[in-house]
Amino acid sequence: MNRSTSAFSLKILLCLLFLFLFGALFRLQVIKGSYYRRIAENNFVRIRRVTATRGEIYDVKYRPIVINIPSHDLYLISGRVKNIDALGVFLKTNFGIEKEELHNLIFQQRFKTYEEIMLVDNISYETMLALSERLNYFPELVFRSGTTREYLYPNHFTGYVGRINEDEFKRYRQEDYSLNGYIGKGGLEKYYEILLRGRDGKQIIQVDARGQNLGFFRTDADVAPINGLSLVLSIDNDLQSFVQECFPYASRGAIVVSNIKDGGILAYASNPSYDPNVFMQRISPDQWAELNRPERPLLDRVCQGAYPPGSVFKPVTAAEGLEAGLINRNTLLAPCTGGMKIGNRFFKCWSSHGHGRTNVVDALRVSCDVFFYDLISRIPLDDAWRHAVSCGVVNRTGIDLPGERSGSYPNTEWYKKRLGRSKGLQGYKANLSIGQGEVLTTPLQINTLYAAIARGGYWIQPHFLVRTLGRGKLSREQVQPLDKHSFGWSQSTVKAIQDGLWAVTNAPGGTGRAFNVPGVTTYGKTGSAENAMGKTTHAWFTGYIVTDKPEIVITVFLENAGGGGAVAAPIASRIANYYVGNIDRFKAPAPIPDQFRDLEGEDENGMEEGFPHPSPHEDPAAVVPAEEDA
Amino acid sequence: MFNRKKFDWVLASLLIILIVMGCIAIYSASTTIIGKHHSTENHWWKQIIFAVISLTAVVLLLKLPMPIFDILIVPLFVVNMLALIGVLFVPAAGGAHRWFSFFGLHYQPSESAKLLSVLLVARVISKENLTELRQVAYGIALMTIPVVLILMEPDFGTSLVFVFSLLVMFIAADVPLYYILLIISPVLSIVSSLHWLAVVVWILVFVFLLIRMGLSWIAITISGIINVFLALIMPVFWNGLKDYQQERILTFLDPTRDPLGAGYQIIQAKIAIGSGGFAGKGWLMGTQKNMNFLPEHHTDFIFSVIGEEFGFLGSILLLTVFALFFWRLAHAIPEIKVRERKVATAGILAYLMIQSFINIGMNVGIVPVTGVPLLFISYGGSSLLINSLAVGVVLKYLNERGFIK
Repeated sequence: MNRSTSAFSLKILLCLLFLFLFGALFRLQVIKGSYYRRIAENNFVRIRRVTATRGEIYDVKYRPIVINIPSHDLYLISGRVKNIDALGVFLKTNFGIEKEELHNLIFQQRFKTYEEIMLVDNISYETMLALSERLNYFPELVFRSGTTREYLYPNHFTGYVGRINEDEFKRYRQEDYSLNGYIGKGGLEKYYEILLRGRDGKQIIQVDARGQNLGFFRTDADVAPINGLSLVLSIDNDLQSFVQECFPYASRGAIVVSNIKDGGILAYASNPSYDPNVFMQRISPDQWAELNRPERPLLDRVCQGAYPPGSVFKPVTAAEGLEAGLINRNTLLAPCTGGMKIGNRFFKCWSSHGHGRTNVVDALRVSCDVFFYDLISRIPLDDAWRHAVSCGVVNRTGIDLPGERSGSYPNTEWYKKRLGRSKGLQGYKANLSIGQGEVLTTPLQINTLYAAIARGGYWIQPHFLVRTLGRGKLSREQVQPLDKHSFGWSQSTVKAIQDGLWAVTNAPGGTGRAFNVPGVTTYGKTGSAENAMGKTTHAWFTGYIVTDKPEIVITVFLENAGGGGAVAAPIASRIANYYVGNIDRFKAPAPIPDQFRDLEGEDENGMEEGFPHPSPHEDPAAVVPAEEDA
Repeated sequence: MFNRKKFDWVLASLLIILIVMGCIAIYSASTTIIGKHHSTENHWWKQIIFAVISLTAVVLLLKLPMPIFDILIVPLFVVNMLALIGVLFVPAAGGAHRWFSFFGLHYQPSESAKLLSVLLVARVISKENLTELRQVAYGIALMTIPVVLILMEPDFGTSLVFVFSLLVMFIAADVPLYYILLIISPVLSIVSSLHWLAVVVWILVFVFLLIRMGLSWIAITISGIINVFLALIMPVFWNGLKDYQQERILTFLDPTRDPLGAGYQIIQAKIAIGSGGFAGKGWLMGTQKNMNFLPEHHTDFIFSVIGEEFGFLGSILLLTVFALFFWRLAHAIPEIKVRERKVATAGILAYLMIQSFINIGMNVGIVPVTGVPLLFISYGGSSLLINSLAVGVVLKYLNERGFIK
């Protein structure tokens, strides 16, 4: 072959390839230029997100707690903005959106300027009608109907959703959130975000202004949204609303009722309460001030507040003494003469009259402090700490809510760090034995502890979720296995403590006799915890009721309300009486209602009947699976 | 060894013009204008830094003594192949394992593999005392390594570039044409199996060409039977695949079948270029670009930005500069007298040319393959550096004219 042949043939090839490209460009830009220009100007071809419907939340009888309701939202398409100043004025006067906020939104959206971004959600129907006409001047604004959340009663466990913010958007980059999306900001909405959310679908828009399919893509390529799973909670709405009414006027505190059988939460209330629906609109400064008033309505006092437990903690100390073999149920300890001298300091019993020599059952009944002072003086601090940890009153219970607080119980190391010494802690220990001093627990931990005592020393992780509804029906164990374990207490320990708790509410002289529920066996313990928040003690009562088997455990906690026996026990008694009075209704099995039965199947049609979602745009004429324009 | 008289100033100037055009396009591609709101990403000045680095590297290459350059090729090739293996273990970005990233920079080993494979294959197949069969066998064996590794990433477009430059190097190394025909015949047989008439026509043409090229009857019969067999077995094999497997292969060959992914981008690129019309919308004013219908318009789809903003005139201008540039490269082949270097230059020209054809063809919607950047224009440091070095190698060969042999 000639030496220059390869160069020559490459030049020929070069000419051919570039003529080919030249031809293609000529056809695209000169012949069909106006056709493509029209498509480009009108955004006829794009991918649209089809939002998945968020799962709803139901109580144990499938009655709604959180539902989706229709809403009207205002969206902005930043790529169409022509006069940003006029837009700023319009938004400021009608929706109070500051100019900077608008600029920030546009900047955030700079990579997807053809996508609609939500400016204002939950606009009232009247406002929407009034403004619809003015929108002609602003082609970049558009009203859309969507869904929003409605919380059927104020509570502290559902939490609420909110618009995703830039931090969250970055953090969950892999999760395919829309900038317009909602994300759980607290409570169950946050904890079960993954289940509730579902997965958004995608829809290819390739229709021109006359509704004709442009035929660029196959028409069957849309990805249908997968709606979120609905949650069924162990909460009983009837009991929950009764419990919420039980708080005395202007009190601060928490009440939690749980099912002894499985550890499910039946009622969960913290006072003062707030309405999660306020977070569904723009919050006014007045509302914001109201939410942040000194009583702190946003604080969930059940599991986010840790308080000195006072005497309700005594069974923990008693059980350690019994288990360590230091006492048995008949052992009499130091005589109570209204107090006891430890070291060179006199520690008072709550009753200045004294209780004399008591055994463990009587000590619990009359809540004698001296018995426990004496008992803990025989227990090394670290053993007591280890025991408290094993009772689940120090660590988080693992309830399915975000932001749970752990309690606290000091050990030698803690004191060493805090005080610089690990000796001479007798006085501190005495306080610990009666749930004062450095001990802090949440009402939920106490409730869980007493549920475990009622089960004979078997601890079950407290929880809300019973099962999910919708595609992929899951039980709680499938979503997340529950922690269950035995304390390892002996029969006699359990019996002695249960007898003590029985005596509190039944025997003469018991501090919790106000917990009086005819027809069932009652157990309980009062507590009046001194605290740094005020002179009046925190009122505690926690008790459980047993019919032929253990039923429910009720914990009432009121900040600075007085004595547990006088203030908290009557409230617990009302709740227990209400429960026992309607026990058949509460215990009746709840059949799955028909509208949810459809969801149990795997077929997609069932899904759409159950959860209406924005229906995908219908293509009128679309069959040609074309890649090329004709 | 820099030689002012032998230096190809035309080729170098065309290279610089292309790089400058690239910077202008990248500035526009990284700018978004909404109303009066104007924001620019920092891609464009990074690209200028890359350009300076690349041109410096070309100058250093020109000054590098030829023996050292010759010695370096084999170890660099080995290291590059190891990098291609290593990149398969990097977490996938956008469905493929293509880049190493460190300190915010991306290194794509398949870019440097193009140049090094061409240089190594050129050396091996240009040995004087090789039989034609050995030339072909060695060439194919060497090229198979990077091609298989890159197919695994997966990156079909880049693999195609390798195969094409191998064929051109065979021609430049005086391998008889019937070898080329035999090499590509299985692919054509498979393609023709879509229709029975195509099979018949193709086999007849194939046999006719072989006879004209004076191949022995035994060889013609054997290759004919193999190709007929391939064309017949393909439909059977294809129907034996599960639907999703067929879909996967088709999407691999033609990404436009995936409308939510690459297909969407290709359509949007076509709309962008088409809507540019004859004169374009003006620099920085592309609406498709400003509204960001194209997620990656500063890399693989940069041509669509040029087409939209500068219209038919601008696109043709760029095409012309490219054509002149390749013409000048082709012009260099007969100038170079050393056989190995001549073959290497042909290979470099082939891979640069086919790569720009694939990229522009993809942007205008006539080539389905994706994953190939537009040389000198697309944003990306490793691509710019390697392609500039490839031109640098040719400039170096031109400079060295007449020293040896």
